Amino acid sequence: MDNSATNSEPLVVDLSIPFPTSREAEIAYGTLSVDAEPKRSSVKKTVVHKDNMLHIHFESNDARFLRVSVNTFFDHLGLVVQTMERFGPPRLK
Amino acid sequence: MVIAIGFEGSANKLGIGIMKDGVVLANPRHTYITPPGQGFLPRDTAKHHQAHALDVLQEALDEAKIKPEDIDVICYTKGPGMGAPLVSTAIVARTVAQLWQKPILGVNHCIGHIEMGRLITGADNPTVLYVSGGNTQVIAYLEQRYRIFGETIDIAVGNCLDRFARVLKLSNDPSPGYNIEQLAKKGNKFLELPYAVKGMDVSFSGLLSYIEEKAPGLIESGEYTPEDLCFSLQETVFAMLIEITERAMAHCGSQEVLIVGGVGCNQRLQEMMGIMAEERGAKLYATDDRFCIDNGAMIAQAGWEMFRTGQTTPLQETTCTQRFRTDEVEVTWRS
Ligand SMILES: Nc1ncnc2c1ncn2[C@@H]1O[C@H](COP(=O)(O)OP(=O)(O)OP(=O)(O)O)[C@@H](O)[C@H]1O
Ligand SMILES: [Mg+2]
Repeated sequence: MDNSATNSEPLVVDLSIPFPTSREAEIAYGTLSVDAEPKRSSVKKTVVHKDNMLHIHFESNDARFLRVSVNTFFDHLGLVVQTMERFGPPRLK
Repeated sequence: MVIAIGFEGSANKLGIGIMKDGVVLANPRHTYITPPGQGFLPRDTAKHHQAHALDVLQEALDEAKIKPEDIDVICYTKGPGMGAPLVSTAIVARTVAQLWQKPILGVNHCIGHIEMGRLITGADNPTVLYVSGGNTQVIAYLEQRYRIFGETIDIAVGNCLDRFARVLKLSNDPSPGYNIEQLAKKGNKFLELPYAVKGMDVSFSGLLSYIEEKAPGLIESGEYTPEDLCFSLQETVFAMLIEITERAMAHCGSQEVLIVGGVGCNQRLQEMMGIMAEERGAKLYATDDRFCIDNGAMIAQAGWEMFRTGQTTPLQETTCTQRFRTDEVEVTWRS
């Protein structure tokens, strides 16, 4: 863990992702809030959905784990957005 | 009429299949092929699935000639398998389930292999030999469970073949096991290898270390050809599998044997099993690479059976799990 920060204040990343509609933000939330972080990861991740926004908060004392977690999240987010583009729009409830 | 779509991505194959009451409407698949000598790593495999899932999904819908509206249930592989590829595939399944307002269902991969094998071959209550890159199990159905009678105590038989293929630098296209099979057909000089059956279980890791260590010298000296070694490896590991399958059949008084999983498309394994079955007055059931190798239709088929008995998975519970034993699942759809 040489290159990780070891101070008591955790490292934090906050993302805010806008979607065209609130329903799409809700679907992205439904998909992306299910998986726990891998067991060996020290990252705490919380996902919140409000109106057409998705807010993701990452917290860790380990910079590498944090980076992996954020990268993976972007991969997954990209997949959700592409799936919506190709197989949306959301059908009515 | 129930239409189920299945998303499979637990290893290096990304498959999406559509089943309508026991009929395969579509079953496209895209395989991540690594260079000779290399296995597939979780992260790269996940990237492969992410890059191909949506094209394969479109292909499945086009081939089945259905619209999303026609689908009744979305099924995905919950496990067992590699974490990152499983999750990448589940993400597409979760997203379309919400976009299309359809129920979703997490399926055990091994149960998918078994149910697809039963459907395609018509085997009713077989003893099952499930042989793949990640699993080696002898299974029989008893009181709402697929019970494991015997299994590998270390690596799977497919993993053993794949790792030996890496030693020989064989192509991974379409799969290392397939290329071992092609070489084995031309081999005839048998090398005695450690044979490890322990009661109902088998072990392959000692045998693999042995042949991995000996192979380069034996080939270089011209004593054995790569073909001879592939032949010897296949004969030995398949004989071990037949032995434990026969023991389970005797124990259960079974008159049917079904082979499923990727290694199950091996012709020599099917031939050896056929001989054993005939001697017992039993019948062999097997399928080809379309249904033996991981595919989406098998997940749809198992999901179709589960859905029929009223099961669905709440979205928040659509997690994936690397470990998920065959006998953890309550088989609600069989009597
Ligand atoms: N003709 C063949 N002969 C022997 N082995 C084969 C043959 N074709 C494929 N295989 C092997 O089958 C295995 C792949 O099996 P499968 O497609 O069921 O996937 P898997 O990733 O191993 O899945 P799991 O273990 O989760 O069921 C690989 O080890 C491959 O080398
Ligand atoms: Mg499999």
